Amino acid sequence: MNILEIKHLTKKFGDFIAVDDMSLTVGEGEIFGFLGSNGAGKSTTINMISGLLRKNNGSIKMLGKETNKHPIFIKKHIGLVPQELAIYEDLTAYENVSFFAGLYGLRGEKLRSRTIEALEFVGLAEKHKSYPKSFSGGMKRRLNIACAIAHQPKLIIMDEPTVGIDPQSRKYILQSVQKLNEMGCTIIYTSHYMEEVEEICTKIAIIDHGKIIADGTKEQLKSLITDSKLIYIDVKDTDHVDIDAIKAIPGVANVTLAENTIQIHTELGANNLNQIISYFIENKIEIRTLDEKEPNLETVFLTLTGRTLRDA
Amino acid sequence: MSKLILIFFIMLTFLYAAAPNLAWGILFLLLYISLNITIHLLKQRYIVSLFLLVSVTITLIACVQANPIFILLMPLSILELCQLWTKKTIIPIVFAISPVFYIQQELQAVFLLVAIYTITIFTFEKYNEQKHVKNEQQLDWMRNTNQKLIKQIHENDTYLKQSAYMFRLEERNRISQQIHDDVGHAITGALIQMEASKRMLHVDKEKAEELLQNAIGITQEGIEHIRLTLKNMKPSTEQVGINRLKLIIDEFTAKHDKQTILTYDGDIDQVNAFQWEVIQKNTTEALTNTMKYAENSTQIAVNVIVLNKLVKVEVKDNGAGAERFEKGLGIIGMEERSASMGGQVIVDGTNGFSVTTLLPLQSN
Repeated sequence: MNILEIKHLTKKFGDFIAVDDMSLTVGEGEIFGFLGSNGAGKSTTINMISGLLRKNNGSIKMLGKETNKHPIFIKKHIGLVPQELAIYEDLTAYENVSFFAGLYGLRGEKLRSRTIEALEFVGLAEKHKSYPKSFSGGMKRRLNIACAIAHQPKLIIMDEPTVGIDPQSRKYILQSVQKLNEMGCTIIYTSHYMEEVEEICTKIAIIDHGKIIADGTKEQLKSLITDSKLIYIDVKDTDHVDIDAIKAIPGVANVTLAENTIQIHTELGANNLNQIISYFIENKIEIRTLDEKEPNLETVFLTLTGRTLRDA
Repeated sequence: MSKLILIFFIMLTFLYAAAPNLAWGILFLLLYISLNITIHLLKQRYIVSLFLLVSVTITLIACVQANPIFILLMPLSILELCQLWTKKTIIPIVFAISPVFYIQQELQAVFLLVAIYTITIFTFEKYNEQKHVKNEQQLDWMRNTNQKLIKQIHENDTYLKQSAYMFRLEERNRISQQIHDDVGHAITGALIQMEASKRMLHVDKEKAEELLQNAIGITQEGIEHIRLTLKNMKPSTEQVGINRLKLIIDEFTAKHDKQTILTYDGDIDQVNAFQWEVIQKNTTEALTNTMKYAENSTQIAVNVIVLNKLVKVEVKDNGAGAERFEKGLGIIGMEERSASMGGQVIVDGTNGFSVTTLLPLQSN
């Protein structure tokens, strides 16, 4: 079932087109990644999904309902983790979460238990009496997440939740995203960090200039560019290397020899590195270095758009 | 509709009340009805307002002359009149209710009730009408788009048929030319040699044998030529596509003072005739745009790359680019063409100006 259906969504700011005829569907249970450079239109799209921004054209349906016609229903089922921290510095962590959960209509015992659950989830239960002033950047981000999940939404939207934080907190956040997903939440995750998206997202849309350039699983996206990867093996001497024998290994498409380097084209996902290495061991050919060049999402983005993700 | 109901109501009350001025009352009513029917036939705003004003006056006279109940017709006429001159809803409502202060007390309640009902029905009617008009417009627009798309499909079809026909024609010309040039000449040559050998057969046997051998050689060559001609039957689409693109770019370079370079990479055979058509049109458009807008650029690079599942064509200049640009008909055209093949266009002005067309390759 599709939790979110966007059709021909358009948003203009004056003559600047921030989102340009965008169509996409997010299925239930996915971690859907929006990958794009700064200013590609990710946040604008998210703000329109969550009802913070009015669209110029197109339709957004969540759980089969038009978002602008059922704003209360939609807001009940969305948890938004905004890019800018949205927490009150002069409320304690507990009060912050409790305040936001209260806005969603939670009351009494339910409010208390959900607040504690959310704080436990992001690992801030022990600090529930502390003020965010004393928190590190990463902890503030985690508190920001807790505020968005206490009402147990079906769809959690995270807009660049890992910008400018320490590696440990980042790891923690990524893990909690996956845990939330296992608990049944659908997640939309935007980032311009390719590694994060590649690591956790089950489906990815590459966004550029307000358009979806390509979408699919990471394998599908990579396959747009190429179906093979390159393995470079440096050996001491190539006299005893039998190219045909290497070609016979399943998945190997082509083998070329250049001085001491053997270049092996092999299918993505063939998992034949062990077999290739054992060929060299069995034939007592000494391997000096081994290098593997696999296309990643950064390459996909670069190839499709001609720019890197970090380009502003 | 609401007017009819009102009139009916007034008539009934009028009759039940057994008012003394029955004749006057009926006259006014008939007048009112005919006036209001005529209004719908009129188009000009001033005349319509005039008629409405007259009908308001008639109601007023009827109130005084026949029966005060006629005042119930007022709100609707006032609403209609105001609606012609203002878009705000509150002004007509105020006007429509205002007579309540000038009428007899026993009629006030009924008047208010009728006025509110009239206002409600009138507003809803107006709202529905607007909605109806909007829907109608959208329907029209969709019909238009639909027609355009059908036309486009049809055009594509024709293009494919035409290009297939062109291919056939070119092939036929080529084959007939080749048969004439190579095979025809060979057979004629062989024939002459054989004729000569026939004459020499009894005079000089050795010479005759030599001539015959020549004829055999020429015939063999001819057969080889036929084989080659048939083998070269199909020029690959790659040749047609990329060569035509080259031609376009050469023409452009010849006409304009910008160095334009075409590079390509990957298995160009995978791009079909439709896709070449889009690529050629988009490239031409992008080049024209560069001429129009990027005056300070000196170089344009056109790069065709066939990737695993898509083909990417980038036209990029080394000018100043543009952070913001308005999407003109040109870019929209490129987008539409690409979308018809399931592709995308990326227009980027951050580093020079570049237009990238991405088209998915048909999976075999």
